Amino acid sequence: MARRNYYDIDDILAGQERVPCVLRADLDGLGSAGSGGGTSKVQRNARWGLPYWMADRLNEEDYVDMEVSPVFSKRASRMYAASPESMQLRAICQHFYQFGLQLGDMVPEIPHVLRNMYVQRVYKVARIAQQGQNVEALDFVQSLDKTEARMLKLCQQAQSAISLWHKNQAYALKRAAVVAAAATAGAGS
Amino acid sequence: MAITTRQTEGFTMPELEYMAQHESITIVPLHRMDRIELVRGTVGPFRPPQKTTVPLWLAIMLKRTNRCRIVAPKWLSYEHLRDLCKREEQPDAMFTRLPTHYLEIAHMLLTYAEDDFVDTQAVRRLLQDLREVRQSKTHEGLRMLNSLQLQMDNLSAAEINEIRPLFRHSFDMLRQLDGLAEATEESQQQSQFADQSFAEMDDAFGSKYVH
Repeated sequence: MARRNYYDIDDILAGQERVPCVLRADLDGLGSAGSGGGTSKVQRNARWGLPYWMADRLNEEDYVDMEVSPVFSKRASRMYAASPESMQLRAICQHFYQFGLQLGDMVPEIPHVLRNMYVQRVYKVARIAQQGQNVEALDFVQSLDKTEARMLKLCQQAQSAISLWHKNQAYALKRAAVVAAAATAGAGS
Repeated sequence: MAITTRQTEGFTMPELEYMAQHESITIVPLHRMDRIELVRGTVGPFRPPQKTTVPLWLAIMLKRTNRCRIVAPKWLSYEHLRDLCKREEQPDAMFTRLPTHYLEIAHMLLTYAEDDFVDTQAVRRLLQDLREVRQSKTHEGLRMLNSLQLQMDNLSAAEINEIRPLFRHSFDMLRQLDGLAEATEESQQQSQFADQSFAEMDDAFGSKYVH
């Protein structure tokens, strides 16, 4: 488990993704914790979808058996390796890369697949930022997850900053009003 | 003091312009002046029509009050820029050598000292072309991104600032992903090692332990 930042909001949100688990023990009175709800008695070998942060700890205490989430199953990782650019990451998992970082040691191919995917998609993001958004890119832009969307916004801001400055529309560094007032007051007295 | 998002990701363009104004430039002063001692150096006596070297901020200030004429730096001429453009456009060329703050200096000179240049429209167009070629090259360099090192020589300050947020976040993410890949490989190797029996390990380490 590679938990990077305790205080990072994106890590917290990424850990919220649900993971299928098999219960190992009878848990009375906790039936409403799973995605079913209602009954308060839960049998062994019931299947539940728990958030990753919960499932990981319970897995270590042997209350549940955590299984790999369908986001990173073998079939899914083969799909990611085949065509990284056409995957709809926003639909699959909004914090795709962070979730992959947390879940990474469960499935061995995941880090390499994620890495190639990231490099290819970020290259496309940078190209879209440079050329300005056009209609064909709209589908791709809508399929980005949170990290990539933030990257796109940063790139666009950097580009527009230079072009605005070139047209003399950026702000100008001027003397502060306080300093100017003090100077005139000093000169007058 | 409140800081905008732009300022946390690197320098802003006006800040880079401010820093570029320390570069030296040659001027022809129009009035006599004695030596002035400033914090960052001495600005030597002005004896027109002798040329002197002053910091750019002073040159701009004098130009705006009509007290000097600015001599264009050697790299800001039409011919030199055209040669540079040709060299950049050759395939697989590295970035050409340009002053670190060339964008800012060119912008300021072309805004405030237009009458001291021969052909400003052509120079502006050439600068734009040069910038576009270099931009597409940095874009290709993005493909070579890895978590250890990326070397791009001769990028100017403004261009580095432009790609700083993208490259910084990509480096971070790649470093984390690569770290995860190494950790999973190590744990796999360790579990393979643990499967070996003790007898095999003795054979591997030689017969030192046999008595």
